[in-house]
Amino acid sequence: MVGILVCQIVLSIILAAIFLVRPSLTTGTAWKIVAFIGLCVLPALCIVGGMNTHMQRSEQTKFCISCHAMENYGKSLYLNDPKYIPAQHFQNHRVPPDMACYACHTDYTIYGPFKDKLKGLTRIYLQYVSTPPNPITIPGGFKNAQCLHCHAGARGFEENPVHSAMMSTLTSNQLSCISSGCHDSAHDASQVDQLKMWNPGQ
Amino acid sequence: MKLSQIGIQRLLRIASVLVILGLGLEIISLLWFHPLSFVLFAFIAASLIGLGILVYLASLVFAVSPPGENRG
Repeated sequence: MVGILVCQIVLSIILAAIFLVRPSLTTGTAWKIVAFIGLCVLPALCIVGGMNTHMQRSEQTKFCISCHAMENYGKSLYLNDPKYIPAQHFQNHRVPPDMACYACHTDYTIYGPFKDKLKGLTRIYLQYVSTPPNPITIPGGFKNAQCLHCHAGARGFEENPVHSAMMSTLTSNQLSCISSGCHDSAHDASQVDQLKMWNPGQ
Repeated sequence: MKLSQIGIQRLLRIASVLVILGLGLEIISLLWFHPLSFVLFAFIAASLIGLGILVYLASLVFAVSPPGENRG
């Protein structure tokens, strides 16, 4: 997919270069059409293709942890302790390992990924222009909808007496899944260097 | 060569430069695996390409409405 986009970009650059060197070519009808394709249609498609590629790439785990502030959060996926929810999901492939961050942290609405991208831009602003918060927090808190997107309707979840007793408070987000006493061990990014890690190769 | 044609050709050159610059930056943003690569693409590359397209379209408008030299 990226290969097609790169070919398209290269073709567009070649056509634009032709009209940079010889703009007088556009006096002929055929070259007018070529100019329209090379300076309007293909570049517009390159913007759409580029946006699509960047959006898909930003869903990857390695993309998220390529940001310095996220390094410890990436390491926490390898914690050797099943009580850590992100590590447990990542290591047992309960979420796709190559899209682990995205699976739990995206907003599952029609424009969810786009809204998340805008939030991500705010983080970039904080990192490079302003001061990043320490510790990093999710604006508005972690929503249960992100857990329920997969767990709602699952037998093991629905038949659990603790879950079924408080189902309405969970679905209405009145009680957080990660609240104290429940699934409260998340990334623990500040402590990650002192904790035991799982090494997949051994 | 008519005066309007010189203007159109200048606009075409400007459009070509903007499009080439924008596409070059888009390639860099695709090769660079970093959160800032999206910023480079969305705010600089896409803006340059978009501006190039607009300049090209402006040259078309210029071409279809010459400044009254053939009238009368």
